[in-house]
Amino acid sequence: METLLASAEYLIQIKVLVAALFGVAWGIMGGALPGISPSITMALLLPFTYTMEPGSAIVLLASTYVGAEYGGSVPAILIRTPGTNAAAAAVLDGYEMNKRGEPGLALGISLYSGVIGSLFGLTMLILLSGPLASVALAFTPPAYFALGVLGLSVIATLSGESLVKGFISALLGLMVATIGTDPVSGSNRFTFGSADLLSGIAPIMIMVGLFAMSELLVQAGSKIKVEKAATRTRLQFPGLKLAKRLMFPQSIGCVIGTFEGVMPGAGGTVASFMSYNEARRWSRRPEEFGKGSPEGIAAPESANNAVAETALVPLLSFGIPGSNSTAILLGGFLIHGIRPGPMLFQKSADVVHSLYAGLFTAAVALLFIGMALLPLCIWLVNRPRYYLSAFIYALILSGIYSIHNSLFDLGVMITAGVIGYFMRMFRFPFLPAVLGLVLGYLVESNFRRSLVLSGDDFSIFLDDRISLALLSLAFIFVTGSLGRRFFSYIRREKNAENESNTGGQI
Amino acid sequence: MITRNLAGGLLMLLLGSVYLYFAYGIHKSALADTMGAGGVPRVYGWLMVGLSLILICQSLWAFLRNKAEVSLVEEWQGQGLKTLKAAGLLCFGIIYLLIVETLGYLLSIALLLLGVALYRGAPIGIRVVLTSIGGAIFIWVIFVIVLGVRMPPGILETFGL
Repeated sequence: METLLASAEYLIQIKVLVAALFGVAWGIMGGALPGISPSITMALLLPFTYTMEPGSAIVLLASTYVGAEYGGSVPAILIRTPGTNAAAAAVLDGYEMNKRGEPGLALGISLYSGVIGSLFGLTMLILLSGPLASVALAFTPPAYFALGVLGLSVIATLSGESLVKGFISALLGLMVATIGTDPVSGSNRFTFGSADLLSGIAPIMIMVGLFAMSELLVQAGSKIKVEKAATRTRLQFPGLKLAKRLMFPQSIGCVIGTFEGVMPGAGGTVASFMSYNEARRWSRRPEEFGKGSPEGIAAPESANNAVAETALVPLLSFGIPGSNSTAILLGGFLIHGIRPGPMLFQKSADVVHSLYAGLFTAAVALLFIGMALLPLCIWLVNRPRYYLSAFIYALILSGIYSIHNSLFDLGVMITAGVIGYFMRMFRFPFLPAVLGLVLGYLVESNFRRSLVLSGDDFSIFLDDRISLALLSLAFIFVTGSLGRRFFSYIRREKNAENESNTGGQI
Repeated sequence: MITRNLAGGLLMLLLGSVYLYFAYGIHKSALADTMGAGGVPRVYGWLMVGLSLILICQSLWAFLRNKAEVSLVEEWQGQGLKTLKAAGLLCFGIIYLLIVETLGYLLSIALLLLGVALYRGAPIGIRVVLTSIGGAIFIWVIFVIVLGVRMPPGILETFGL
């Protein structure tokens, strides 16, 4: 209740409102552009937030995330090209409704379900993040080290096809985090005499390089033909009868979205496809799914918008970004010298409260801005790709320079982009590298401080109760992921064997 | 034989080895703890080398096991051209870095917009030129006028830009 009252004060702050409204609008437009993911949309804004005050900056980025989740559905429904990965599920029935001559209704259901998902997700975010913050004051160096290890253990679920590649990617991030001044002795490491490297490499340069710059480089070598969207589409909200029918699939989406959002690594794509599947399983008209069912849009849309809010739970409570978008949001916090995690609610409660207020504004404003921006989104969807690439390139270079007025930063960002390009080419996942980069300092400094405190006695990590609990959780996380991988490998091998026994005909 | 995993593994092995070489060169301060400034980087370096070797072995094993099924032509099809095109786009960023202090922000960003748009396939004509100039002025207004960022003025300094 105290949190709600404190957050309500920020609802009348012009700066927070403007940040939320602009963030939603920017997010919708970014999400509507195929190939521009929510994380890239947020990364483009990241340099702009440097000059803003922390609360407004975080609201701007978080609202962008909320807006992008809806924006991705616009091209998914109109031209069968999802603007974001999570919007892929909306293609299945959204495009079918479009073909049937109901694109406005499909977009209306998507928007309305997204708002419901956002509001539900925000409620869960406030309910779940608060209690986790109460343990904040009991954190010691071993507990912080264990928290870092818990964060790194998420890599096991974020590694995609190869766990080894995930670990290598994380090591890359950890290695970059060692550049600069040593946290304990003050010695220089990997600085090669450069004064620019003494304070280390800011995560924002690496994030913008990895996500946005590498995407531009990849797009330079690929030819994507995008259909043209009909320019006369008008948004239409469902009537009372249809709205009643959509309540159940929306509830499914909200619950699954909340669960997947809180779990680092799962993300909006998994949530939307899972909720689509469950909505079909529980529907009275499952045969309509895939042929333009409104329920097939409502469930995934409420799920991916719920994820956009609940994905902030592990970030705010533990400082663990579970997705690319929350990693960028973490970058936004770090730019202002704020480290999300146990102490966030103690040291920067104002930022948390303005974030809650901003997210509420964003969720409600989504309804109106989504309606107002539809013609602009359609115009953007129909723009030639070459202008888009050129403007994004210019924005990235200008934005990164504006942070420290430094050409050196531009060089670092471009280098990170090249590394990102090769990581994509060799199929190394990005997120473990970002996790390694942002958690590297926390892990190393607290590990060594703990050993100094205990006189090099490693049992300090097991004597501290919070540390023990977090390390056990990390252990369960890693063994669980390894177990799942092992069993799916066995299943695959068995299937392959069966296929070869039956001559490949099943 | 050189699959993406194998090439990635070899690249990371090289990177890990170079990192390890420099990690062993980190000076140990008299104020340091038992581990020292180089302790953790050495652990990371060895882990990188070890994991890269595992990835190399895994990819060799997978290649030998599924020899008939793995088509290296398919694996790398079009990659050379894609990388060349990406390198071309990268050059615009590097050129921008080299010219921005001399030509100034406004002019450099206009040239960047024009160059990248043409490189990505925009038809040559007055439209692309006007879009680049208009876009550059728009971006200049946002960064320099609205956000108050001090961008390199270059040769346009005399005009107050």
